[in-house]
Amino acid sequence: MAELKFFGYLSDFVGTRGKEVNLERPVPLREILPPRFPETNIIILINQKAGSLDSLIQDEDSVVLMPILSGG
Amino acid sequence: MKGYAGKLLRVNLSDGKVSKEEIPDSTQRDFLGGRGFAIKLLWDEVKHIDPLSEKNKIIFSTGPLSGQLLPSSGKMVIASKSPLTGGYGDGNIGTMASVHLRKAGYDVVVVEGKSEKPCTLLIEDENVKMVESSELWGKDTFEAQDLLEKKHGKNSGILLIGPGGENLIPISTVMSQRGRAGGRPGMGAVMGSKHLKAIVIKGTGNISNFDDSRLRELGKKGHEEIKAKENLDFWMRQGTMQAFDWCNENGCLPTYNFKEGVFEFSKEMDGYILEKLHVGRKGCPMCSMQCGHVIKDSEDRQAELDYENVGMLGPNIGLKSLPHVALLNRMADEWGLDTISLGSGIGFLMEASERGLIKEKIGWGDFEAARTLVQEIGKGEGTGALVSKGVKAASEAIGRGSHRWAMHVKGLEISAYNCHGCPGMALSFGTSPIGASHKDAWIIAWEISTDRFSYNKEKVQKLIEFQRIRGGFFESATVCRLPWVEVSFGLHWYPEYLEAITGNRMTWEDLYQIGDRIYNLIRAYWKREIPHFGRTWDYPPDRWFEDPHSQGKMKGVKIDREKYEEMLSYYYELRGWDENGIPLKETLDRLGLKEVSKEMMG
Repeated sequence: MAELKFFGYLSDFVGTRGKEVNLERPVPLREILPPRFPETNIIILINQKAGSLDSLIQDEDSVVLMPILSGG
Repeated sequence: MKGYAGKLLRVNLSDGKVSKEEIPDSTQRDFLGGRGFAIKLLWDEVKHIDPLSEKNKIIFSTGPLSGQLLPSSGKMVIASKSPLTGGYGDGNIGTMASVHLRKAGYDVVVVEGKSEKPCTLLIEDENVKMVESSELWGKDTFEAQDLLEKKHGKNSGILLIGPGGENLIPISTVMSQRGRAGGRPGMGAVMGSKHLKAIVIKGTGNISNFDDSRLRELGKKGHEEIKAKENLDFWMRQGTMQAFDWCNENGCLPTYNFKEGVFEFSKEMDGYILEKLHVGRKGCPMCSMQCGHVIKDSEDRQAELDYENVGMLGPNIGLKSLPHVALLNRMADEWGLDTISLGSGIGFLMEASERGLIKEKIGWGDFEAARTLVQEIGKGEGTGALVSKGVKAASEAIGRGSHRWAMHVKGLEISAYNCHGCPGMALSFGTSPIGASHKDAWIIAWEISTDRFSYNKEKVQKLIEFQRIRGGFFESATVCRLPWVEVSFGLHWYPEYLEAITGNRMTWEDLYQIGDRIYNLIRAYWKREIPHFGRTWDYPPDRWFEDPHSQGKMKGVKIDREKYEEMLSYYYELRGWDENGIPLKETLDRLGLKEVSKEMMG
């Protein structure tokens, strides 16, 4: 299972703050996100390292998606 | 120049003298307004004096965008020589006083001297007078605001201090409208030292702009762009509190006096809990995305919360209840104390108690103790007196290595971002021109989105870019940065606004240069006022270098001191400063500050 966590308005967009996805093979992150998922001003962390929507996600990965802006 | 009143109002409280002076076009062009005007005045007029003496001056300064029909424009800057840090101090505040000052026909008010008795400064267009206000002295900022509104009208622009400022507490702020606060580095104490309880402003005129119809059209479009932002709805629900679980996830939530970056009770007090407790909203004038969220505190009274005060009065002191945090925050607002410095001071005392460095037992998360401490800090009495002058002074008083975890830079307490795993943000706190404020360069999100643990040149370049935009432009324009920061409002609007206001087309490169001029003059001011000022003043506390986190995903993480030094040296190189962080003659000359370089270099 890959674990996906969504923060800020991205959780509204997806309709959940977190979900798990079964992956039989590595797939680009954008393929397991809803259509029209925001592509700019977002932070993507895959196993705590910066990634992109084209990063390959595999089972056991931990993916965090959060807005780049807020707080200050 | 169009868009400015071109007038500075000067009031001497010692002799009651009032004068109105022209602000030269060159000052408007070179320093823009707000912070820019403030540092120019302080450099020229406030030299080698005790910040709490009557020789200090306090400056209330707007910019060409302030009070206009533009997004989030109801702002002004309050500046003075800081009694907390001894250097340049300022802070912005959202207030009707900004709107009214512009309508009254002034860009800036300079208050000097000291009134014999407590007074209020009343500014009604051309009519300016001091009014004795002994009946207000000792009243908290909510009660005094009520009385002033009753006397002068609900929509007056009112700036005032609470008992904290009256008692010359160096972490006291200036307040407005029951919850708006500004001037973290002790601007409230400077007002108190002058026996100035309040300023009331009522303006009835209009700002004379270059092209009013164009400005109205641009302002309307700007507000429409904000309303259409896809992240606006979430912002309106959580405001800056959306940063709470964001910070906890990223291991940068200030917890137990910045020992840890995650709080075990974070889910009990995050932005989603705030949404459930929300009973109202507060904010600044001219703002369509107000950030203050009101909840009922633990005494069932309304209190306003945002991320900074929840971070510092919550996890940083081990407190896990939002209603309890709200009560401490309301007390801070009533007393006119800075919530960030207050949370840092209470956290410092809790750690000092844990380590046996003070005899009082103050446990983490002890709400009743924290509540008592707020009052003691506001009075400068009891155990709280130790931190009422800030944690730097407290650590100097108790010694025994406590400076390692006194969480400040340049004497100003660090705001609610723990940087064990964010070296770029640590450098941002280190090089902020007023001490450890997040307002000048909030680089942390960009840093986490790229390569948070690296120490590279790109981070330093980005940091300076942010300082130019945030600390240079927004603090001087003077408008709120949050539309850009929080909902991605386009930066391209601002040069367009300036053109409609002044008639002059400026590029962001032009604005960057103004920002650089302001930063260099502030830096020169620190050096002139504190002769031993230099590189070490840009170091964050040892805790970030020596005490790694013990919990969470960031367990074991700390900053590498040698690499921090390398980034700092590169920062100085880009800024045109020497290895001690002092502006070079050629840098000052290039920015049109030849008189400054002459005074600095002899």
